[in-house]
Amino acid sequence: MERDREESVDLAQISLRPLQLSDVDDLMVWTTDEKVPKFCTWEPYSSKDQGIDFIQNKACEFLWSRAICLNDSAIGFISMTSSSVTDKSRGKSVELGYVLGSKYWSKGIMTYVVKQVKKVAFREFPHLERLEALVDAENVGSQRVLEKAGFHREGVLRKYLFFKGKSRDMVIFSVLSTDLNHQD
Amino acid sequence: MSNLDLSKISLRPFKLSDVDDFLLWAGDDQVTQNLRWKTCGSREEALAFIRDVCIPHPWRRSICLDDRSIGFVSVYPWSGDDRCKADIGYAVAADYWGQGIATKAVKMAVPQVFNDLSHLVRLQAFTSPENKASQRVLEKAGFLKEGLLRKYTYFKGNIKDSVVFSFLSTDEFPHDDSWK
Repeated sequence: MERDREESVDLAQISLRPLQLSDVDDLMVWTTDEKVPKFCTWEPYSSKDQGIDFIQNKACEFLWSRAICLNDSAIGFISMTSSSVTDKSRGKSVELGYVLGSKYWSKGIMTYVVKQVKKVAFREFPHLERLEALVDAENVGSQRVLEKAGFHREGVLRKYLFFKGKSRDMVIFSVLSTDLNHQD
Repeated sequence: MSNLDLSKISLRPFKLSDVDDFLLWAGDDQVTQNLRWKTCGSREEALAFIRDVCIPHPWRRSICLDDRSIGFVSVYPWSGDDRCKADIGYAVAADYWGQGIATKAVKMAVPQVFNDLSHLVRLQAFTSPENKASQRVLEKAGFLKEGLLRKYTYFKGNIKDSVVFSFLSTDEFPHDDSWK
């Protein structure tokens, strides 16, 4: 095993802040890495213009989003989308999404970030009842993040999404505002 | 318990002439309590609902007994990237509950729906956790119960849990065993 894979990250160096145009080169590191969007609807980026377009035009469309930073350099991105965008009867529900550069996987960073954002969500949106996340059934790493961050695994929605040419079974997780009262 | 010959049950599109039969069940709170539908309060409302909602609907059928409407089955496909999935709903007039009619209607609908909606891969249904009768309909019709989604949706002014079921295009289509 290479020595640098064993480097752990001091989680105190992890912070969240809005994504900025000056983050574009850092953003290109994870968006061009084939491993990263494997379970995402988007394909790896092939030009810096896509990175600029995301920061300027797409990041602001989320209900809430932040760059995940290590010593203030962006290494990933986390966002929330209102579920009422696709279903008007679901206005008290928000969906969480996140992505992290592969160099930083398996170090507890994403779990740490999701735990923080879980609390932020219910604080920022006091009427929020349910925070949910959908993860590809094959994406075991991401499922572990949510389990360790205190989300309840509710079930597997078979062939729920179709992207990159195939149907995907999606595991659905949730945390309720009432769950938080019983957690850390 | 069942004296009803289920071979008399059929599915067909709604007609304006169904209005009086329609009002008998769509005007009944017992029937609409588990639907997002508002109970029909008059013959005029029922006529407008059939004309403006039921007839133009992407896939809605009247459940008929000897060609008279006693309920409905509806399938609403999602759009765009999500057209691989559709939501199914159904109801039967209260006088006809407990005789296997909804189960028979859903079993009949499933193969028709997958035939009619070309992009459909997943047919899904959401029931309230308390509605055991409806969950039994889905189970008997071959749907798989996938889980309980907590505080999932707003229903008539309240946040409710939903039990989610699915039937895939690759699942084995239900047999019609109403002769048994």
